[in-house]
Amino acid sequence: MTKWVRYTLPAAAIVSIASPAYSMQYLSIGEAQKQAFPSASNFAEVQVGRVWKAEAGGRTVGFFIFDRVVGKHLLIDYAVALTPGGAVHSVEILQYRESYGGEIRSASWLAQFVGKTSGSALKINSDVRNIAGATLSSTHVTEGVKRVLSAYGNRLR
Amino acid sequence: METDCDSIRRARPLLGTFVEIQASGARRADLNAAIDAAFDAIAKVHRLMSFHEPDSDVSRLNQFASSDPVAVDPWTYEVLRTAMDLHSRSQGAFDITVAPVLQGLGLLPGPAGRWDANRVRASDKVELLADHRVSFSRHGIRIDLGGIAKGFAVDRALDALRGFGIASGLVNAGGDLAAFGPDPQTVSVRNPVDPQSFMCGISIKNEALASSARRFDPFHSGGTTSSAIIDPFTHKPSCSVDGTTVRAPSCVIADALTKVVMIAGTTAADLLEYYQAGALLVLQDGDIQISSDLKDAVSLAA
Repeated sequence: MTKWVRYTLPAAAIVSIASPAYSMQYLSIGEAQKQAFPSASNFAEVQVGRVWKAEAGGRTVGFFIFDRVVGKHLLIDYAVALTPGGAVHSVEILQYRESYGGEIRSASWLAQFVGKTSGSALKINSDVRNIAGATLSSTHVTEGVKRVLSAYGNRLR
Repeated sequence: METDCDSIRRARPLLGTFVEIQASGARRADLNAAIDAAFDAIAKVHRLMSFHEPDSDVSRLNQFASSDPVAVDPWTYEVLRTAMDLHSRSQGAFDITVAPVLQGLGLLPGPAGRWDANRVRASDKVELLADHRVSFSRHGIRIDLGGIAKGFAVDRALDALRGFGIASGLVNAGGDLAAFGPDPQTVSVRNPVDPQSFMCGISIKNEALASSARRFDPFHSGGTTSSAIIDPFTHKPSCSVDGTTVRAPSCVIADALTKVVMIAGTTAADLLEYYQAGALLVLQDGDIQISSDLKDAVSLAA
């Protein structure tokens, strides 16, 4: 028979394990490129730090586009792999950053992460957690992918 | 990430959230192939069971099943069978036919006009026929598998990882997760009242963990507002429990049971026991109740 045990928690105890900011590095750009186009022997940079053409034996096998969107508070790095015809082949999250404990959601707070290749202001993977609970919406990434498609889907050939 | 590391963690936007998959204990190429297959399984569940995709099994059922039987994928059929089993065992608390109420409240797209009571609490009007065909025996029924499909997707992804013979794996679909492997995994559970902080850690081993909270929309409000979980008896958002986390042998059961516990609270004890599940509830007064079988796996923040 299932019995229930009741706990009364002081509110302060709950807050105490919050860490200031957290970042999860999943794949580097190079790893994600290889993952998206395993057959490619070369990735030609079409637009610096943003667009690459995946080539295999002189043939274009697709395009790889790096982009960032603001997630809950902080930036999410992601990559869209396009087929040679300009359709979405895959979307992969490269780095996810999250703030805990109510940092200021100001432009200056966000600015510290812009242009940093590895988000050096953050603790990266130092505390790799499996997080359960409230579901985070991926809407902003989905919108980002749509933007990438409309910007590059028909232009890259 | 070093090239010789034998553990890979990747994430993709799927099921409206971020799905994170970790695989360990094999060559990198094999781990990546396993993770690709696991993401494919989740994408397939998304395609079949989304309320929003016009070509999904769910959309086709909602459009046609009141008139004619609709053939669905075996996975959709399995989810429907599990959902109906849960419906009868929970005395109707788990109900996939509350979609019209969610539409009325603006939580799902569709007509926001009045729904009539005949269209909801109608899980018994969903008929599972031979050859994976399904029909609705009443007009106007609309189903939503949002309360169960994510857990099912996690289970299918874990199956895909297992199929590659890797040592251990973990799939986390935005907070609903399951793991397999020789070592226990500690999961940090967000506080449903203050989602930016953690409430406790729960240790799982070859098990699943799912959570539900009163509605949390990180892009519009840091605070919790009303719930997206509808009490099928009152047709109103449930409000007796602030949040719950359920541990079960499979994620499909853990996911679905969180909805029952949000509505039924501690009276869901018998149902939890039937499904070999345990639960942690955050009550409205801030107290926490944990089922006795889960107690030893929980490390509270205090």
